[in-house]
Amino acid sequence: MTSLKQYKEQYINQNIQFVLIDQEGTILESDQTFIELNLGDYIYELHPFFATYSAFLDISDETMTYNCVHLEFNEKEFITDVKMMKKGKLVLLVIYNLTGHYNSYQQIAQARNESIINSELVVLKNLELEERERFKNAFIRNFSHELRNPLTSIISITKLLEGSKLNNEQSQMVDFLKESNTNLKLLLDDIMSISMIASGKLQLRNKIFSLISLLELIDFTYRSKTNGGAIRFKMDYDKKIPEFIEGDRLRVFQVLTNLLDNALKFTEEGTITLNVSLNQKRANKVSLRFEVSDTGVGIPSEKTNAIFESFIQLESEGKKEGAGLGLSIVKGLVGLMGSEVHVKSELGKGTTFYFDITLTYALDLASKPIDRAKKKNPDISKLKADKKYKVLLVEDDERTQMVLFKTLMDTNFFYIDLVNDGALVFETVINNSYDIILMDVDLPNVSGDQITKLIREFPFKNIKKIPIIGVTANVFEESIEDYLSLGMNAVVTKPFDFDELLNTMVKFLK
Amino acid sequence: MQKSKKIVILGHFGVGKTSLIRRFVEDSFSDKYKVTIGVHITKKVVEVNADESVSLIIWDLEGTDEVQMIRQAYLLGTHGVVFVFDVSRPSTFQNLNRDLEIVAQKTPDTPLIVVGNKKDLVINDELQILLKDNGIKADYLTSAKTGDSVNEMFTHLATLLNDLS
Ligand SMILES: Nc1nc2c(ncn2[C@@H]2O[C@H](COP(=O)(O)OP(=O)(O)OP(=O)(O)O)[C@@H](O)[C@H]2O)c(=O)[nH]1
Ligand SMILES: [Mg+2]
Repeated sequence: MTSLKQYKEQYINQNIQFVLIDQEGTILESDQTFIELNLGDYIYELHPFFATYSAFLDISDETMTYNCVHLEFNEKEFITDVKMMKKGKLVLLVIYNLTGHYNSYQQIAQARNESIINSELVVLKNLELEERERFKNAFIRNFSHELRNPLTSIISITKLLEGSKLNNEQSQMVDFLKESNTNLKLLLDDIMSISMIASGKLQLRNKIFSLISLLELIDFTYRSKTNGGAIRFKMDYDKKIPEFIEGDRLRVFQVLTNLLDNALKFTEEGTITLNVSLNQKRANKVSLRFEVSDTGVGIPSEKTNAIFESFIQLESEGKKEGAGLGLSIVKGLVGLMGSEVHVKSELGKGTTFYFDITLTYALDLASKPIDRAKKKNPDISKLKADKKYKVLLVEDDERTQMVLFKTLMDTNFFYIDLVNDGALVFETVINNSYDIILMDVDLPNVSGDQITKLIREFPFKNIKKIPIIGVTANVFEESIEDYLSLGMNAVVTKPFDFDELLNTMVKFLK
Repeated sequence: MQKSKKIVILGHFGVGKTSLIRRFVEDSFSDKYKVTIGVHITKKVVEVNADESVSLIIWDLEGTDEVQMIRQAYLLGTHGVVFVFDVSRPSTFQNLNRDLEIVAQKTPDTPLIVVGNKKDLVINDELQILLKDNGIKADYLTSAKTGDSVNEMFTHLATLLNDLS
């Protein structure tokens, strides 16, 4: 029994110190278990913690326990629980040395706090990235929007220039100008596509179309593009693929031509191939693999992910112009189609991009659509030759005004009135009888869509029914649908193609 | 006689309570984070004017996201409270006004100073907007790292406590 008592002394008592002080804080007694105290010293001079004994004296509680108090004595740190007890006019301090116990607790708290703070920082960082991404997209969208108006004018003026008397040198210059315009327009369209995909504003418009004729169009286009050069273009498709499928024809076209243009850009000589094969056909679903291969420079394996990022251009040899938007559009569009683009590449040998998409195909050939692929020249023969149509042009941008005015006049079919302030439109419309209105949407004072709404609500038929064609630089589908639902008969987006505009006008003129 | 005043430093963990004290007492700073458990107590004598000084007994408490959980014993005999939040971490000031109410209940009739620390990590203009949006009034915006406004804050509190007694 004595031994157990000894052990108890050894293990417990060594870690508990008893100290007796008076009301002034003078140390009267101490068992000196682990801290050496001089009798007669003031306890609060040993460590500032003990100054609190006087506050303890002021309250009615008989005991007070302070947990996890760090005390330093002679350069040694103890982590303790301190109990203060009133004993008549004296105070008994019981100091428990729990350093080991609290040190393990500290490690747990350390790990816990660090991981909470880290995860908070990750969340904050992601928020910041998202915010930056949103800002970037909004910026790009506004920026390209702003570029559309001047570009529309440039394209139209070039067209006017082309039709005027030019000498050889001049018409060659106009050709260059036209090519640059086209490139600029394509680039702008790409940028818009990217920002629309990134901000989730792009929606696929699925319709039944002939996949085969789309492929033939591509075949024709790229054969002409590569004709006579060091690159051969080959298109091949599995004869078992369905002719008609339901999908977004324009976007499928965009994906394939972007991949092919990319292949052209990075291939000096050899072959570029487009291959479409059938994975499987079940019920009315078909899974197709589209594959574009080239014999170009290839992509280093560490860069195969980066090439799909916006604005990344491979810096290797064969540096070509372009902002490098094509592939990120491909990635975005194929993503919208519910799939993923893969890439296989070998440096110096070539690259293959491929993706699989599942589509609905039309079993019933009666649903064969009218092929609108061939672009028609404006069919002005429908217009009455002996009549001049009255057009009201509502447009505040002077360059667009001038261009539209001149091009429309040149056809000899139109009289044109011009209004550049939304507030004046309504009055002008009532006091004249127009055959058609070309309405810019972004007008000062009253916007074009609001005016349209007013006109459609007018009580007299001759006014209420005037065809209105919206002209806008806003290409977002929701906006366009809004305009149509407010009563516009059609919407033409800037930069517009004059033929497209004329075609649209012809459709609504009687 | 030199007056002795107890102040407690409260706030969520990691906001820089220990760092502020270290900057004030030793004029040093470390980027490393060592979590405080329980309480550390230090003392510093502050001259509040030409012939008066106050001995500040500073209680550096462990951080907590639940102010309600602060051990009552630690608050006993407190003359002043500094409540610190981290301007770079919204979680430390999202419920600031509620936290301050609880603190005021726990330490009635005690001066309370609200400090937004780590101002070196944020852009001042954005910070002002952030504080305004969250309805926060901070008495001091400090940086334990650069030392910005740290002495001012503690000296102000010492002066205040000296004048009160
Ligand atoms: N940049 C910057 N970092 C700081 C500042 N103050 C503190 N830190 C850092 O923030 C972390 C936490 O600081 P501490 O002072 O330990 O925080 P605390 O409030 O005492 O934390 P707990 O004891 O867990 O409650 C450390 O890594 C510090 O280096 C500051 O003003 N600026
Ligand atoms: Mg601390």
